[in-house]
Amino acid sequence: MRGARRRLTPYLLLLPGTGWLLLFFAVPMAFMLVMSLQEGSLSEGYRLTWNFGIYPKVIGEYGNLILRSVGYALSTTVLTLAIGYPMAYTIAFYGGRLKNALVLVVIMPFFVSFVIRTLNWRMILSDNGLLFGTLKDMGLLDHAFRFLATPASVIFGLTYNFLPFMILPLYVALEKVDRRTIEAATDLYANKVQAFWRVTFPLSLPGVVAGSLLTFIPAVGDFINADIIGARSPDVAMVGNVIQRLFLSVNDFPAAAALGFVLVAGTMLLVGIYTRIVGTDRLTA
Amino acid sequence: MSQKRLSRFLLPGFTGFVIAFLFAPIVVMIVFSFNAPLGHQNITWQGFTLDNYLTIWSRSDITGPMLTSLLIAVLSTLVATAFGTLIALSLTRYEFRGRAALNLLIFIPMTAPEIILGASLLTLWVSFGTPRGLPTILVAHIMFNISYVVVTVRARLSGFNRSLEEAGMDLYADGPTTFWKITFPLIFPGILAAGLLAFALSIDDYVITLFSAGHTVTFPLWVYGASRIGIPPEVNALGSVFFLIAFLFMAVQVWAQRRAGRAGEAGVPIAPVASR
Amino acid sequence: MSDHDERSQIERAVERLMHGEPISRRSFLRRTGRGGLALGAAMTLPAILAACGPGKTKLEWANWPLYIDVDDAGKHPTIEAFTKKTGIAVHYVEAINDNEEFFGTIQPDLAAGNVTEWDVISPTSWMVRRMASQGYLEEIDHSKLPNWTANAADYAKGLWFDPDNKYSVWWQGGITGIGYDPNLTGREITSFDDLLDPAFKGRVGGFSDMRDMMCLSLLSLGIKPADATLDDAKRAQQKLLKAAQAGQFRGFYGNEYYDSLSNGDLVASVAWSGDITQMQLYDNPKVKFVIPSGGAPRWNDNLCIPKKAVWNEQAHKLMDYWYDPVPATTLSEYIGYWTPTKGVPERIKADADAARAAGDTKTADLDDVLSKAVAPTAEQLANVFDYPELADAAEEKAWNDLFLAVTTANG
Repeated sequence: MRGARRRLTPYLLLLPGTGWLLLFFAVPMAFMLVMSLQEGSLSEGYRLTWNFGIYPKVIGEYGNLILRSVGYALSTTVLTLAIGYPMAYTIAFYGGRLKNALVLVVIMPFFVSFVIRTLNWRMILSDNGLLFGTLKDMGLLDHAFRFLATPASVIFGLTYNFLPFMILPLYVALEKVDRRTIEAATDLYANKVQAFWRVTFPLSLPGVVAGSLLTFIPAVGDFINADIIGARSPDVAMVGNVIQRLFLSVNDFPAAAALGFVLVAGTMLLVGIYTRIVGTDRLTA
Repeated sequence: MSQKRLSRFLLPGFTGFVIAFLFAPIVVMIVFSFNAPLGHQNITWQGFTLDNYLTIWSRSDITGPMLTSLLIAVLSTLVATAFGTLIALSLTRYEFRGRAALNLLIFIPMTAPEIILGASLLTLWVSFGTPRGLPTILVAHIMFNISYVVVTVRARLSGFNRSLEEAGMDLYADGPTTFWKITFPLIFPGILAAGLLAFALSIDDYVITLFSAGHTVTFPLWVYGASRIGIPPEVNALGSVFFLIAFLFMAVQVWAQRRAGRAGEAGVPIAPVASR
Repeated sequence: MSDHDERSQIERAVERLMHGEPISRRSFLRRTGRGGLALGAAMTLPAILAACGPGKTKLEWANWPLYIDVDDAGKHPTIEAFTKKTGIAVHYVEAINDNEEFFGTIQPDLAAGNVTEWDVISPTSWMVRRMASQGYLEEIDHSKLPNWTANAADYAKGLWFDPDNKYSVWWQGGITGIGYDPNLTGREITSFDDLLDPAFKGRVGGFSDMRDMMCLSLLSLGIKPADATLDDAKRAQQKLLKAAQAGQFRGFYGNEYYDSLSNGDLVASVAWSGDITQMQLYDNPKVKFVIPSGGAPRWNDNLCIPKKAVWNEQAHKLMDYWYDPVPATTLSEYIGYWTPTKGVPERIKADADAARAAGDTKTADLDDVLSKAVAPTAEQLANVFDYPELADAAEEKAWNDLFLAVTTANG
């Protein structure tokens, strides 16, 4: 009896969340998968023709956009890590009584609508606006310089919007690190830098992994930064924008679904490689 | 670089800079909440006024969607955080069949483009005959939030020191007591962080909500539409008010902690070291 | 040793959650089965409730944002007047941000033959045609539209997408032309080719709307969009594609070109007539609007009734209400696009004169400008052209595919 109970407990814990995901995610996605293999149109209807050829087709047509999106997402992940790690470290180790308050401060801007935040950035970063206009007036920038509607600006927007996704998991992992472990290291004649790289950083790795995943994965499929900050410039079109258009304008549901799944598969592949490198034992206890 | 310089100037300075960076568009929002534009667009400064802070309360076309979004965010955060934490607990503590499949189930929602998630969910509603509205939005938000919660809480749970729970048992605590008095407080920062993330995701969701909303209007739906014509300055006023409330909340928290002394600090383990 | 014990702690906690019963396989299955059933029931429950509930109390109308008058309380005076007059309550929802996006949210229901949530919707001309051809719109009973019959202007009736107004009546309309700041361009812009001048590389705004862009390109090649063949479309697309690949377009905008044009990030852009009127009044008086020499596309949004809408009668009443000059004037004074109702420009002018007499020069100036802008002039009508009539889904897809290549600069 006890044995049976023990075996069932994990399943019971899983039940509500997994059940929810199965019903409201897996089932609809399965339908989409089937849709990708169909041919037809909105007016004529769709027939399942097992059209696996759609996959190489969309990869061929939009492969460069997929690469671009992955590139943007990677840059975003690296940048958010570079900015977020010192930030999380400072709050966790030097925050003291202000710790919780600081975490709240970090996430507070993100309770304001994304659209409002991004539009205001667009205002700040416009060619002759608050930032660049001032710099141009001071003669520090060439008058033809522009930031918006360039790849750099889209990466900027992505970085800004994903920063809390990196900072929060990092903070959570860093805050857990027992100071006494570090003390022990320095007692054993490690200097501060060594203590960091040999003790603190490895212990914070689950946070790094979590933050990277939470940033990279959604960033690849993002379309909204390219829309608002990137002004839908063809230079910055990401795979998410194409899927939007294929789905809504061109009404090519099979192609949209197929491209969506290529995105999913590609991202999962990269995630798999990443977790293999970092070591899955870091991910789970 | 001496430790002193690092901790006294560089790190806090960097943190301050990052916070300023995070708040930059918010500051613009607050400044323009005092603007009095004549037309639809709130992009050029046309005069100072406090009117927006007065008229916003009667603008039910703005406050209505805001309340709807808040309600959905709170409810979906609570449920998704609960579900996600349970999953994270089971994944980090147990060996069971189907781990790999479960991991896949957790990660794929984050990778799938929102429009695919949204549209496929809509076909589910249509085939069930479920009318779209608040309940369907809620279901969708809980769905996409679970993954984010699991990943965040897991970061906290990995390397969790079981010896603490053992100690509790040694002191004759039973299952629930051990969980609530020892385990839960230690993983709470992770749960809280996950909750904050889920809340931020829910209150801002556009695409998935669009397909499950029917004729319910959430704030992102409204503001996305309005942004194409011109966001009224009352919206800035509303955002600024929220900010003020959040700030006050935080200030009260800091003040309360100061009064309570060291007891307010979280995450300090009171058991022996050896965390592996 | 501790493994076994600590698991049983949590197990016991979970057990306690389930009423302290030891869990056997059977009861586990029973519970999950029950749970699944409960969930399924819960999801069909709203449907059942909706069917037995108090029923509809409001007319559901989906429209574009900021397309109606709004007072300081966020209410819509014209709609309130309608409710007062007819007793019909209206649930006005700004649900449409994009024709295709909105259509995507109601299409599954329409395809399944269900009732959608809406009684009245406001699609653009070409979307009316698409929906009508798929049988997704109710036919209009003109005997129920006396105001429309009496007051609808000629330019607002019998248009290419619905020649007998069987499915739609005009809501508001306008021109898609070019807006530019002569100070920044250094010269006047008179044609679409001027917009593609390499001198303005990277500072020109395109539209993300396929029809607007293709029409402008076609007209600049001397081809009327209504007569365009697929080969013509390809020629037009090539012109746009070359420009896109050369980096001519800073971006492909929706409504949000407005602030970029106003603050000078764009020196010239494809733009809507009504917007530029607003910009000149409020944000940047230097910007000008021009209909390119080859001609410009005209667009309009319409009121339609989706198939199987429940409050058909009431929907007709709402549609007819806007052809009464009084609410039509109030609406136009707020929105500033082309009105379909006769007599509105005169009334706005009268309001302007009254305001000036009362000393309110601000309102008077505004209304003076509006009175000239809310109805198309003969000159404008001579230079605007209809969208192409894309015969079937395949042709529409072909044109969309062509344009998708432009927006991604993927030759």
